[in-house]
Amino acid sequence: MKTRFDLTLLAAATLSLLASAASAQDKTLTINSFGGAYETAHRKCIITPFEKETGASTKVVTAYSADAFAQVRAQKAAPQFDVIHFSGGQEIVAASEGLLSPIDASKVPNLANVYPVAKANIAKGEGPVYSIAAIGLVYNSQNLPKAPTSWKDLMDPKLSNKLVLTDISNGYGMLGFLMINRVAGGDLRNIQPGLDAVKKMLAGGAIVVNTSPEIQREFAQNGATIAPYASDYAFTLTKANLPVKFSQGVEGTPASFITANLVANRPNQALALKFIDMSLSESAQTCFANELRYTPTNSKAVLTPDVASTVAYGQAAMKDLFRFDAPTIEANRASWVERWSKTIAR
Amino acid sequence: MRMNDRTENLLLALPGLALLAMAFFLPIGQMLVLSVSGASGLTLEHFSRFLSDPFYLNILWRTVRLSLIITVICVVLGFPYAYIMARVSPRLRMWMVVAVILPLMTSVVVRTFGWMVLLSRNGLISQWARDLGWAERNFQIMHSEAAIVIGMVQVLLPFMALSILGVITRIDTRLEEASRTMGASFMGTLRTVVLPLSMPGIVAGSLLVFTLSASSFITPSLMGGARIQVLAGLVYKSVTQTLEWPFAAAQAVILFVGVLLVLIPYVRVSTPRHG
Repeated sequence: MKTRFDLTLLAAATLSLLASAASAQDKTLTINSFGGAYETAHRKCIITPFEKETGASTKVVTAYSADAFAQVRAQKAAPQFDVIHFSGGQEIVAASEGLLSPIDASKVPNLANVYPVAKANIAKGEGPVYSIAAIGLVYNSQNLPKAPTSWKDLMDPKLSNKLVLTDISNGYGMLGFLMINRVAGGDLRNIQPGLDAVKKMLAGGAIVVNTSPEIQREFAQNGATIAPYASDYAFTLTKANLPVKFSQGVEGTPASFITANLVANRPNQALALKFIDMSLSESAQTCFANELRYTPTNSKAVLTPDVASTVAYGQAAMKDLFRFDAPTIEANRASWVERWSKTIAR
Repeated sequence: MRMNDRTENLLLALPGLALLAMAFFLPIGQMLVLSVSGASGLTLEHFSRFLSDPFYLNILWRTVRLSLIITVICVVLGFPYAYIMARVSPRLRMWMVVAVILPLMTSVVVRTFGWMVLLSRNGLISQWARDLGWAERNFQIMHSEAAIVIGMVQVLLPFMALSILGVITRIDTRLEEASRTMGASFMGTLRTVVLPLSMPGIVAGSLLVFTLSASSFITPSLMGGARIQVLAGLVYKSVTQTLEWPFAAAQAVILFVGVLLVLIPYVRVSTPRHG
């Protein structure tokens, strides 16, 4: 039922995309966003100011990174997106497959103020990072008065029953799992220690969810106490009036880099570059941090103290963040997801 | 000169056929090609990967098994409901139709959220079960195969009930009266007169319910959770998350064949007698 309905929608959407591409090519930009609160903030901080400044109109398609990548890859012959946003390192594979255009720094003035780590591979086609989500321990501060400080706290058998894990087909879920794996003694060549640890957690009553809204449900309704997840989502839970806090484990803070990428073989790349430039501006990044608690990558972005205290912010904090090697994750994703699925299957 | 009947018929059917060719046969053909394509030409590796792994075979078996259970429950609930609908006043019938298709008009998220309120760990039903001492502390119906069955039956019941309704309304009520005057009880009449005559509706409804439940993945993934997978969900995951399209195509072909293997004998056995 639903599948068929979705297919019709997809067909309709494709047709309308084609039609609009033909009629208003130069002044319409097609981008993806991630839906929900993210998309609302995206519109407020970047899309609406962009439309105001350029007079262009923006078509926003809701598609998560993996979905978005699948679409861009399928549309290789006739791309439909101008700017594509990824949060799971998909830009590395996309760039290597020639789906993205290299970015000329002279056409994106704001790049000058962006931390080097956030613009390392723009010449290869990997778009710049415009915000960063840090992965740590999201916990209920009422049930757990003493803040967890270590990733090892997740392995405490007393907490298993109240622990929420996220499936690794989800980007944040993957990063959380890889960190559990690292703390359990594994590395990117060997995820078995992590799988064994997860097996123990599940035996102790831990729950696995597929999507972030389910985490909220577990915290709101089912007495969940702790979950390895992102700082921005901790803020989402706080806004829903849950007594939730975010803590960084001493072993390190894996981060998810959200990139804005220039799709290859599109007619209006100049406008797309303007959009990417605005994504990197101080005002856009400050706005994003205020709205959703993402870490800015523009070194000139200034946050108020209360916002700054809840995100990784500034030169020093940037050093605590690290990124699991995205090409390795991409190369192993399919087999890891399969092994994970077999581990958690009932 | 007049066109002959066959040409006319063909012309009339042409738009439909063209649509079918574009929207069904073409994608199915592509899927078949994709499912046997590997790094170096034609290969059956995707099929052997699936068929040689107990993990995947279990999921295939779960998909078929749950779809059968869902179909049987829909028949058991749908037949009496359709019979009553057919025999009440038109006004009441309209309300009963509305009631049964109401779940289809609600978004899957809202519908599932309703079930979560009832079935999750701190939900009403789970709490009652604990209070009565029937279940342990962690008990929940959510995230189990039972939850999938409950959620799917709610969505698919209208397909069954309405298919049967269409057939029962065409059954001459004098047949039932005759049966009753010949001494059959009400239940006896239902069993020996109404039920056999409604078989075409039951068969059509079962086909719809079975194929729809075998191919759906949103409700199963929301109700069953990450740890209980069905085949359509696996296909979705392979397409959108791990990007293994040939493997996804192979899984889809296996699902397709699996459904056909169940359906063909079912149609063979159940239709000829009743035309």
